[in-house]
Amino acid sequence: MEYKEPREAYKGVIREITIGKGEKTLKIGGENILPLHFFDEGSLPNPPKFALEVLDMEPTEKTPHLYEPFGDVISDPIKWAKKCEGFGVDAICLTLLSTDPAEKDVPADEAAQLVKQMVNEIKKPLIVYGSGDEKKDAEVLPKVAQVCSGDNLLIGPVQKENFEVVGKAILDHGHVAIAQSPLDINLLKELNVKLCKFLPPERVVIDPLSSALGYGIEYSFSLIERVKQIGIITKDSMTMMPIIANLGDECWKTKQAKENKTQGLLWEGITALSLYLAGANILVLKHPETLKLVKETIGGNGTCQN
Amino acid sequence: MIIIGENIHVIAKDVSTAIRERNAQVIQSLAKEQAQNGANYIDLNVGPMKKDTEETMKWLVNCVQEVVDLPLSIDTMNPVAMEAGLKYCKKRPLLNSASGKTDSKTQMLPLAKKYNCDVVISVMTDKGMPPEVESKIESIMETVSYANELGIPNEDIWVDPIILPVSTAGEGQRIAVGNLEFIKILQDVLPGVKSTVGLSNVSNGVPAHLRPILNRTYLVMLNRYGLYSAIADPLDEELMAFVRGENPEITDLIYRTMDGEEIDLSPLSQKEVAYVKTARVLMAQTLYSDAWLEV
Ligand code: B12
Ligand code: SF4
Repeated sequence: MEYKEPREAYKGVIREITIGKGEKTLKIGGENILPLHFFDEGSLPNPPKFALEVLDMEPTEKTPHLYEPFGDVISDPIKWAKKCEGFGVDAICLTLLSTDPAEKDVPADEAAQLVKQMVNEIKKPLIVYGSGDEKKDAEVLPKVAQVCSGDNLLIGPVQKENFEVVGKAILDHGHVAIAQSPLDINLLKELNVKLCKFLPPERVVIDPLSSALGYGIEYSFSLIERVKQIGIITKDSMTMMPIIANLGDECWKTKQAKENKTQGLLWEGITALSLYLAGANILVLKHPETLKLVKETIGGNGTCQN
Repeated sequence: MIIIGENIHVIAKDVSTAIRERNAQVIQSLAKEQAQNGANYIDLNVGPMKKDTEETMKWLVNCVQEVVDLPLSIDTMNPVAMEAGLKYCKKRPLLNSASGKTDSKTQMLPLAKKYNCDVVISVMTDKGMPPEVESKIESIMETVSYANELGIPNEDIWVDPIILPVSTAGEGQRIAVGNLEFIKILQDVLPGVKSTVGLSNVSNGVPAHLRPILNRTYLVMLNRYGLYSAIADPLDEELMAFVRGENPEITDLIYRTMDGEEIDLSPLSQKEVAYVKTARVLMAQTLYSDAWLEV
């Protein structure tokens, strides 16, 4: 009998989402195969993309080997972002840490102005994360959406506590939402169902929360893997969104990463690679050398196929 | 289907207070209500009952027997409380429950023999809950044959596959489907045994107002495969209507969903749509979320 290669064809397609406008655009998602299943029917039109994280304030805890590549620009977010562009990123991820009531409690207006200035000055698409404080984000993120109306930013985290107000602003001003839920597939779906009652699913990216190596990475891995399987195999409309893995900060919070540089790069690199293998579509890192390491590992076209 | 009324349960604050204060009225009205609504047994879930065991069990059992004429299900993990309860039952009681755990085999199963009563035996073992249908079957066959050796016939054994919440991170749905399969094949592997489930556990952790529809739908599904009894809430009128075989249209919709039919929802009433969506979730045809009726 002749041997026939088994080839699966799946029903679901991850929605292709464009971020940014004009020259500064980026596409994520669009695949109808499971991660790295190039042997199956279907394709991966947009291999995973990488962003570096920039903070809107000088970090209070300055791990030397983490911030050394940026020199003195870490006190100036715009310069910091520009420096990141030199490291071959696909996007910049700005975290509005200063707006956190536990940090400087910077008002929404001021934060939004900075975002607008960054949009104007950088050449890459922009991802904007609020501080994660649900109440403060409900003020800050709608303001950012409004001031940057039409710039098609990727904005989050949109959480179950604030999805109505943040989601509405994202809809009104033409951006894409990062829907974030606490590492639980049922809560993840619930948030998407509620959000997509008024926001088209083509404007939603999933942030399932990314735990670092040794700090729950197995939760994140199996969750991302499962979201992809349910979207692609069973065609569940509410999980067919691209996934963002915002892992840099989680990694550099660990004792191991802070200890020394090699360990830090490997900690962030292994976490990124694992979540890439699980199916993340865009990954946010902190250290430019990790970015280089990960890109070398997965190859020039981002598909592990050289 | 035999319904074992679940409402006398120490986790309910008013019940535990009533037992502590010997407030017969609270307990008796719960028992009467359940009986009036069609319960066939009254479950007395007393928890571990470490204090004044003998005396409390005697009071509780007699208190219920004074007002209802139904057999009781004595529900505790504590063999001392179990024996105290069984001793005072006038009608042939149900020992709820034993399992394949060593302690249970050596302490609970002999009580079932001694008091010549029916006994619930769950699939649990010393290693915990068997993860797959096959391992559950394996475990229950072993425990049942142990019980047979003690002189307990299959006809007196009510097998419990252990129902878990459908809402737990994906696994719950897989287990819900597995338990249907378990009930379906049970008679082939252990002819003559009866079966039971703790029905409401399927909706544990789900927002309170959404729990009943999960319980009812799952009962209809289990009933299709020959489930003999369920520990459930007889005060849920709609659940009891299903038990009496009413609502044939909805039952049919649930069955068709189970068979994988793509049912057109557009001509259906809101209520019918809700049952179809719930059956889809319980068959793991679509990922569970608390918003399952809103999709
Ligand atoms: C990721 C995670 C972990 C990661 C933590 C990653 C990290 N960065 O620290 C790891 C794998 C290490 C972990 C371990 C444990 N976890 Co855990 N974990 C989760 C999970 C999946 C998500 C939590 C999360 O990140 N939320 C989002 C963030 C933004 O919210 P947060 O509140 O700031 O989350 C932090 C705390 O929740 C904390 N944390 C995580 N787990 C636990 C457990 C306890 C007891 C405490 C005090 C704190 C804590 O770490 C999180 C990140 O900083 C939840 C389930 C869920 N979906 O909620 C379970 C959950 C919180 N974990 C739980 C348990 C039981 C544990 C363990 C005790 C398991 C064990 N037997 O060893 C350990 C204890 C860890 C500890 N001492 O802190 C239970 C808690 C049950 C309860 N109410 O007591 C949960 C709810 C899961 C469950 N249903 O079983 N966990
Ligand atoms: S990732 Fe590391 S710490 Fe976490 S479970 Fe695995 S071995 Fe243990």
